[in-house]
Amino acid sequence: MRFMMMIKMKKDPVAGKMPNKEAFEVMGKYNEQLAKSGVLLDMGGLQPTAKGAKIKFSEGGKKTVVDGPFAESKELIVGYWIIQTKSLEEAIEWAKRAPLQHGSDDDCEIEIRQFFEIEDLPETDRVKAAKEAGKQAGDVYREMAKEARAQQK
Amino acid sequence: MRFMMIVKSNPEQDKKTIEDKKVSEQLIGEMRKYNEQLAKAGVLLDLSGLHGTAKGTRIKFSPRGKKTVVDGPFTESKELVAGFWIIEVKSREEAIEWAKRAPAPHGPDQESEIEVRQFIELEDYLPDEAIEKYEQVARIRLEKLSQMKREARKSG
Repeated sequence: MRFMMMIKMKKDPVAGKMPNKEAFEVMGKYNEQLAKSGVLLDMGGLQPTAKGAKIKFSEGGKKTVVDGPFAESKELIVGYWIIQTKSLEEAIEWAKRAPLQHGSDDDCEIEIRQFFEIEDLPETDRVKAAKEAGKQAGDVYREMAKEARAQQK
Repeated sequence: MRFMMIVKSNPEQDKKTIEDKKVSEQLIGEMRKYNEQLAKAGVLLDLSGLHGTAKGTRIKFSPRGKKTVVDGPFTESKELVAGFWIIEVKSREEAIEWAKRAPAPHGPDQESEIEVRQFIELEDYLPDEAIEKYEQVARIRLEKLSQMKREARKSG
């Protein structure tokens, strides 16, 4: 089972401020534990929302671009891990071990969300073929993209 | 530059299961075409849809090391995530253009939103041993993954 562990905060970390070296190292150790136990598939940190944008889709096909920061938002994603575990409980255990630095109020949380897997998808011919080849959901597109990048080079 | 395009959900969408979503075959078809465009342009790095928050959990981190586990669904939340794409493009403008080209995520008759967020890259960090650590983790991860794949092949 694949899960995304999203780090959510009520507001952006202070703009442009990098975590201090100590916090960075503590996080590095945790990442290493995830990696060495073979559960880590991917991870990433996101820039503050000042560098982001939103596209709002409205009725009638209207699209509106709104530049960040998103000060009105109370759930900002600052980073994530994608992990593969045997159960939700195992994912929760990993999330609880994360060395998160919180502020003075309860402003930091990890939300764990399960991925749709190939078994969950509507069984089209392509899904069926991918399933038989032992592929995960998304593999078809990832492979297509990899091929395209190889050709561009 | 890498960006995450986050499809936002809402309490109504969050309740829908994949069975409900099957009803809109047109939207599924449009999404498939869009995914193919992203892939064939070589910008796509990863993508996935997430189950509703009924299958999710939150861990709240409070002062003095207190941790509270809260099971989903998160009905009070207005900012849920339904899925994401990770893309690599040359500029923020290009990322926004790709997000605008996406089919309206919940169908043409519903309000919806895609959030575009830039990744923090290694160059954004000050050069020191922490970066070496990060690269080390990336190497270990790759080794583990290929090891797992080898084992999976062996066990047939």
